[in-house]
Amino acid sequence: MTDLNNRRLDAAAFDAERGEVLQGWATGAGVCFADALRVQEALPVEKRFAVALAEADAQGHTLLQPRAGVALVREHVALLNGLSPYCDVLPTTIDAYTRHNRYAEAQEGIDRSRAAGTSLLNGFPAVNHGVEGCRRLVEALEKPVQVRHGTPDARLLAEITLAAGFSSFEGGGISYNIPYAKHVPLERSIRHWQYCDRLVGRFEEAGISINREPFGPLTGTLVPPFVSHVVAILEGLLALEQGVKCITLGYGQAGNVAQDIAALRSLRRLANHYFLNAGFTDYRLTTVFHQWMGGFPEDESQATAVICLGALVARQARATKIIVKTPHEASGVPTLEANQAGLKATRQMVNMISDQNRVDSPDIQMEIDVIEAEVHAVMREILRLGGGDVARGAVLAFAAGVMDVPFAPAKANLGKLTPVRDNHGAIRLFDVGNVPLPADVLAFHRDKIAERARAERRDPSFNMVVDDVRAISASKLVGRPA
Amino acid sequence: MSGDSQGYKVVLGVIGADCHAVGNRILTSVLTQGGIEVVNLGVMVSQDEFIDCARAEQAGAILVSSIYGHGELDCQDFRARCEERGLGDIVLYVGGNLVIGKQEFAAVEAQFRDMGFDRVFRPTVDLAEVIALLKSDIDQRRPAGLRNSRALPAERLSA
Repeated sequence: MTDLNNRRLDAAAFDAERGEVLQGWATGAGVCFADALRVQEALPVEKRFAVALAEADAQGHTLLQPRAGVALVREHVALLNGLSPYCDVLPTTIDAYTRHNRYAEAQEGIDRSRAAGTSLLNGFPAVNHGVEGCRRLVEALEKPVQVRHGTPDARLLAEITLAAGFSSFEGGGISYNIPYAKHVPLERSIRHWQYCDRLVGRFEEAGISINREPFGPLTGTLVPPFVSHVVAILEGLLALEQGVKCITLGYGQAGNVAQDIAALRSLRRLANHYFLNAGFTDYRLTTVFHQWMGGFPEDESQATAVICLGALVARQARATKIIVKTPHEASGVPTLEANQAGLKATRQMVNMISDQNRVDSPDIQMEIDVIEAEVHAVMREILRLGGGDVARGAVLAFAAGVMDVPFAPAKANLGKLTPVRDNHGAIRLFDVGNVPLPADVLAFHRDKIAERARAERRDPSFNMVVDDVRAISASKLVGRPA
Repeated sequence: MSGDSQGYKVVLGVIGADCHAVGNRILTSVLTQGGIEVVNLGVMVSQDEFIDCARAEQAGAILVSSIYGHGELDCQDFRARCEERGLGDIVLYVGGNLVIGKQEFAAVEAQFRDMGFDRVFRPTVDLAEVIALLKSDIDQRRPAGLRNSRALPAERLSA
């Protein structure tokens, strides 16, 4: 590992690096930090992400946010303004070419979309549109807008979008590498995200609060809560070190109600524990719940049921924000109408849960206890590996399989850990790989899986895992044999 | 490795800048259990990587996945590229969410068949059905391939 460590980037080195970053594509020349500060200072309060989150947190509200992005500025403005009445904060989902810094292909996508009269890109190519195009977008909106993507090296994207008035930036050096890349070394993506966090830190020092949101759901497929919690805590610590103050940590719906409520409740507590222990006190922490990120049913009514289950859990556990899916999820990029439908269904569910009393049960408490034991065990080993440095510890932990994300494409991930559902649909560990969990926790996972195996009269195997991966799209939670 | 699976060798991957890895794992597992030898290139595979691998492995088919919507851009001229590289006869399948948004499948299928794909599948297709089709399609191409290679010297003589 080169010279990676969890220390605030040096000012001179940051400025030198910035010179290189801005040469990554022609539009980088349009970035000027003094102008960026003026743009951010001029944003009305109702377009500031950090304010929306702080108000929701203080009042106990849950914000709704869709995903959306198309190739051209005018069409993207129309799409977001069509969604705006149904949500609280806006997204701009970035296309997959831009996520891999393939700006020439993004440009071809823009040109061909213009010729075809419809978007051929799966998101908004913000780097190609530059500060000027992004500013036109932000100015045409009435709500805060966030960059949502999956970019291992998002330095230029951050420079351009934050200079244009976006006030929240999703991602992190782990969560935007392991699920989103194939060959990017983890130490490189963590270093590139230290740059993004440092950039946000500079805005904070100038009095502009920019929200940062590590990507919670990872691969979105049977991810055990402790795995995503550890990544969230690590990325939170890395961001705080660079001067980020407004952090939203995420969790993706797994499907079992008790486990999902437990996961969200434990996330905030665990994060505060590690942030305070590391000496950070001046930060604002909120949470985001992602409705089911795995395969969806093709039928739109069935898909709406999946969306509503997520809304119920998110509101019951008092998430600050929900990322909302659509009834078109099984078919890919949704229309405006499908996106509105997902938001309306979620709003109805959130409203109906809002006045209800908090649900507590021994099941939820047991899940919280398990998650906390798992997170502490893995964090202890990461800190030991890194000699107290979480950046180095994270890299070494992934290399050793101490941290392991299921179904991830990245070579930086060992891929031995294999999850499976138990008889009630909660996610357990079929194969723990090299993750150092305590013996009593492992015994708990084994017992839970054995209970399901008995009920299904078959041995646990990878076929059970495959059945689980396909279960929700086939209208069930647990992948039972036919 | 069974004699059965040596008979049906395919190259599998997710094309373009697409990093969706879950379906790729499932396909590998199910195809292998179905008697297909899978050379899995994983995610983010270019057309040339598919073709290079199919040539090196002497595979009977290339199975292209795309779930993120850029399939239309990424799959352009795939068959032509195979022909240029001497793989004009290879069985070419594509499946997933191939275009942006929810569109009539028949139209998507026609569009990708026009690009030279032999079969086009939705994400919900029954994989047992795919395995049966794949074996039959590879078998049908095989005699043609053998005939060509045997006929070649004779053609040379007559030319």
